[in-house]
Amino acid sequence: MSDAAITVHNLYRFFGPLQAVNGISFEIPHGSVCGFVGANGAGKTTTMRILASLDYPTMGHAEICGINVTHHPADVRRLIGWMPDHFGNYDNMTVLEYLDFYARALGYKGAERRQRIDEVMEFTDLVPLADRFSNKLSKGMTQRLCLGRSLLHDPQVLIMDEPAAGLDPKARVELKHLIRVLAKEGKTIFISSHILSELGEMCDTLLFLNNGRIVHHGDSESLKRTSDSLGGVLYDVQIDGDPQALSDWAILQQNVELLETRKQGGRIRIDTEDPSKAADVLARMVRDNLRVIDFHREQRNLEDAFIDMLSNIESGNKGVQTPPPLPPKPAEDPQALI
Amino acid sequence: MKIAFPDDFSDRLSPMLVKELRQGLRTRAFIGVFLTLQIILGIILLGAGTTATSDHAGNTISTIIFVFFSIAVIIIQPMRGMGALSSEIKGNTIDMMVLTRLSAWRIVTGKWSAIVSQSALMMVTIIPYLILRYFFGGMNLVGEIVLILLIFITSATLTAITVGLSASTSVILRSIIPIIGVIFGTYSLFALLIFSRFGGGGGSFLDYFSMETQESRIGIGLFVTSCLYYGFFLLSIGTTLIAPLADNYSTLRRLVALFVTTVATALCVMYVDDIEVLMVIFSLIFTPIFTISLTEFNMLVPPVVNRFRRYGFLGRIFGAFFLPGWASGLFFCYLLLVIASISFNFVTIPSYNQELITVTIAMVGSLIFPGLLVYFFKMQGPARVSNYILLSAAIGIVSLTLVAISESLSNGGFLWLFIWLPPVSMIMIENHRIDEDAVLISTALINIVYLVAFLVLAIRQYRDSMQNLNESKSPD
Repeated sequence: MSDAAITVHNLYRFFGPLQAVNGISFEIPHGSVCGFVGANGAGKTTTMRILASLDYPTMGHAEICGINVTHHPADVRRLIGWMPDHFGNYDNMTVLEYLDFYARALGYKGAERRQRIDEVMEFTDLVPLADRFSNKLSKGMTQRLCLGRSLLHDPQVLIMDEPAAGLDPKARVELKHLIRVLAKEGKTIFISSHILSELGEMCDTLLFLNNGRIVHHGDSESLKRTSDSLGGVLYDVQIDGDPQALSDWAILQQNVELLETRKQGGRIRIDTEDPSKAADVLARMVRDNLRVIDFHREQRNLEDAFIDMLSNIESGNKGVQTPPPLPPKPAEDPQALI
Repeated sequence: MKIAFPDDFSDRLSPMLVKELRQGLRTRAFIGVFLTLQIILGIILLGAGTTATSDHAGNTISTIIFVFFSIAVIIIQPMRGMGALSSEIKGNTIDMMVLTRLSAWRIVTGKWSAIVSQSALMMVTIIPYLILRYFFGGMNLVGEIVLILLIFITSATLTAITVGLSASTSVILRSIIPIIGVIFGTYSLFALLIFSRFGGGGGSFLDYFSMETQESRIGIGLFVTSCLYYGFFLLSIGTTLIAPLADNYSTLRRLVALFVTTVATALCVMYVDDIEVLMVIFSLIFTPIFTISLTEFNMLVPPVVNRFRRYGFLGRIFGAFFLPGWASGLFFCYLLLVIASISFNFVTIPSYNQELITVTIAMVGSLIFPGLLVYFFKMQGPARVSNYILLSAAIGIVSLTLVAISESLSNGGFLWLFIWLPPVSMIMIENHRIDEDAVLISTALINIVYLVAFLVLAIRQYRDSMQNLNESKSPD
């Protein structure tokens, strides 16, 4: 049993010959927000569905607050709130009736039910929409309604599959705000998204998945700072005077490459991560009479970092979590048994 | 802003029923059917009241009331169940519902009971018309009440069929349902109309429903029992198609089938001495349970299996027949066949009758063969049950076509080419130009091969899925 809110240990899920999830392991501590990133088909939704007790792993195990999702799905369901990546709303049913139905389905009765609905509608700002038909809502309103539904039983862990997909900027900001508030309340949030910059802002950690394997688990800052595929680091340099001077200077330097000339200087690559080497380069610039007015390490955005990481993997599987060896006689795919 | 909470339904009602009623009572389909029924009945009654001169006016009004009520509840209302579960599956809302305390069974029965409640509402609203019709005289009160209840039970059963099969992924199957529904409904209505108009001025027809004879009481009792049995199984099929793997509905379903088979066997041993009656009874009992048992998803998960394992060796034996999955489903179906065969031993067969034996074997083969095809075509998930039904229908259509061809050619010799299709043996044995012994031997051999082959496959699959369950642990 683990102290983490979410524990995944050597999890596999096969669909026939397809290895959707290939031996992943990770832990997410209580009260943290973890972003789950990966291309389409990387295995994100499959992993999330297993955690939500909606699917079964071929091997390995997953726990929510120490409870095994495979052995005790009913107990796990009480602890989680689930927002699927796509869902339809009901015809001929108002927002209030929609929440009322789910509150009844969760076992709330009478005054307690009304109180829970009241709280959730206040939180998600759905009160003005109470009498609107749920299938006539905008995408942003629908997401708020779905979030409200998933919060009705006050779950400890929220699993959100692509909640920001298809939202306009305003709705995205609103959703981000709600997630931040929930995180402050101490809920553990496991959220997948394609909009990496937004995940970077609201998540404590990011989990990158590629072809069913974890390729990175850490905070977004560490990801942005990591070196490029060849181990180099990019710097933005601005000088007072002709930018050609920087270009002429760079040609004569070892370990420095000018990647791009800009209006007031350029973008250089230093082929090592060592900060002292960067200091040496700056010292040489000053010594060679380049009038440097700005010299700073370029922060890559998460998209670039992710692409670089995938290149790294393609060039030699660097950083990929290696799945443990399968048993001598691997269990047959249950789907193939039917 | 103060929220005005709806207090239209009690907390005691099923959440699913509340949801479906809130939605359903607002639909155009319900409002349209309800108002149209009221307007038509109102106009007819007023018209009949002002112009009625004949002694048969009361019967005519009864007939019209029953016909329009039947159109509403036997044809239109069940059709509303066709999209009941498929819309939830398409909308990805089933997952959200099963994560609440709603079980798959409550979801399906909630959908069904909402439509049935609306049909009940329609039934209640025709009562004033029947009371007014009473004053026209010649009313068979018990007969008309029983008839109206039987129409309602038929409606509830047809609704269970459409709701249950609405979880199917097969668009073909879901499209066939309304066609069959319209044909069945129209046929029933014509039968009702013709019987009530020409069956002795309506008297003899309604007399049957007044249950004054032993025959009518048994007939109505069997009809209601069949409706309950089929209603339960069709809803159960829908439940299985949407339920998470950890929810086991197979055991209860098989226990019900075992109970019904055992009771039917006991009753048949005591009261039935006609092999054809036995064949009809057991075909009715076996069709739904074979359909679902031979097509169940074969993935066993710890929460289900552990409940059986708790009871040690006995639990393992019981599990081999009652655990979910088509492999144990096949063992269970064979168990039912063994139980039913007891009643056949007590029937007095006047002489060695190749025809009856051939038909019996072919009927068993007809239930097993589509399951074998589903296995060999490697059909997946919910498509399995749909394909079993479609394959059975296709085999039936091919067999009927072969009958037509053999009759038009006056030569059944070519039927030997199709004897591997179990229903074809039933046609061949009727053809007097074909050697009955040869048909019986061929039918027996072919169907035994099917039964044994399927059994071998099931034993392998059951063993593999148990092994898979044991190995589904972390490989660290």
